[in-house]
Amino acid sequence: MSIVELAGICKTYPAFKLNNVSFSLEEGKISGFIGRNGAGKTTTIKSMLNMVHIDSGSISFFGLPLSGNETEIKQRIGYSTGTVSWYPRKSIRDIVDVTRMFYRNWDEAAYRKYISLFSLDEKKKPIELSEGMKVKFNLLLALSHRAEVLILDEPTSGLDPFSRDELLELFMTLRSHGVTILFSTHITSDLERCADNIIYISQGEIRDACSKDDFRNNHGNPGESLEETFLRLEREARQ
Amino acid sequence: MKALVIKEMRLSASVLSYILICSAFLALCPGYPILCSAFFTTLGIFHSFQNAREANDIVFSALLPVAKSTVVKGKYLFSVMIEAAAFLVMTILTLLRMTVLSEVPVYRLNALMNANPFFLGMTLLIFGLFNLIFIGGFFKTAYVFSKPFLTYIIIAFLTLSIAEALHHFPGLEALNAFGFDHIILQISLLLAGAILFILLTFVSYRKSCERFERIDL
Repeated sequence: MSIVELAGICKTYPAFKLNNVSFSLEEGKISGFIGRNGAGKTTTIKSMLNMVHIDSGSISFFGLPLSGNETEIKQRIGYSTGTVSWYPRKSIRDIVDVTRMFYRNWDEAAYRKYISLFSLDEKKKPIELSEGMKVKFNLLLALSHRAEVLILDEPTSGLDPFSRDELLELFMTLRSHGVTILFSTHITSDLERCADNIIYISQGEIRDACSKDDFRNNHGNPGESLEETFLRLEREARQ
Repeated sequence: MKALVIKEMRLSASVLSYILICSAFLALCPGYPILCSAFFTTLGIFHSFQNAREANDIVFSALLPVAKSTVVKGKYLFSVMIEAAAFLVMTILTLLRMTVLSEVPVYRLNALMNANPFFLGMTLLIFGLFNLIFIGGFFKTAYVFSKPFLTYIIIAFLTLSIAEALHHFPGLEALNAFGFDHIILQISLLLAGAILFILLTFVSYRKSCERFERIDL
């Protein structure tokens, strides 16, 4: 069952265009969102969060259009990125104390569970955390309000292989609990391991959105890894 | 809304916003352009906006389950709270200077603006200008604040200089009244300042809501 639907999203910038982006996310599945840097992944994700205003198209979560239901939808989704840290000089405890006031489904037990699982120290400040720990902190905020959909913008970028592995394990555990994940990355090996579906974007257009197996059948050559397929497709697109 | 104001106070605010409320005590300073205290208060609020930008506060707030207009309202409420706190201190000190300190020679021989209701009205006008020019200008982009702050500084100091100079013009001496002299005129000027403050802040808030709704973060 589709829990998130994007239909015909268009957004034009002077030097870039997101053209007719359409895909859906299935409930309880991990959808890998792949594309090279500048392909339109972050713009699409920002559109889904209403941080970028689309020129045309529609976005809905849980059957509710984003326009007019943004507050309700944001109660039920979580966002995490590997590139931004919030309030770098405030303690985790201070940030969490404030954040929890905004969510009616804030789950203190889940918060305690994940802060322990992620080995995060509440007294630390984001500026004192490694890149991997920053991602975990962002995830902590998302998971503690029982987000049903997680939108993750390059959460594993800049992480060491061990931290990446830990995060992928966590995503798979969350999937088993019914959480829907959109996982944007250009590290295809991560998707090889945990994604159910692949959404491939290139030059602002969705080239394919299907199951990982169908993606292999549609685009892969025998014995080719996902990364090799992705690289070949990008080279072909540039020619 | 309460949560958003708490967020402003605990996460976004610079400690300077609170410390510079104390600049209101400049109202007791003899031989000093006391209207500068209003400017210093707004300088403290400016620091909180700077702090917030460095902490990615606007994006964090936009991700929270609140309407975008509520994010804007939070910023305005915080700013008005700081302004109100400074104004309260200035009002108490002005009342002191109008009553028990009204005959103190250092205040009587003061060539600059006297602490009276006109001063309080002008303080509210400076706060209103800050809300209109700086905060309103900030929400054009939710990122760039140098241009709106520079514009505000120029206009605030022009206003301040004119307010300081006015009572030296023949016929306008009543603006610098001591004690309860010319009290009807003085109270009228205070009320005019209050009305301008409300008007400028409200116009700025409405415009900022519209702008923030439109911009891409």
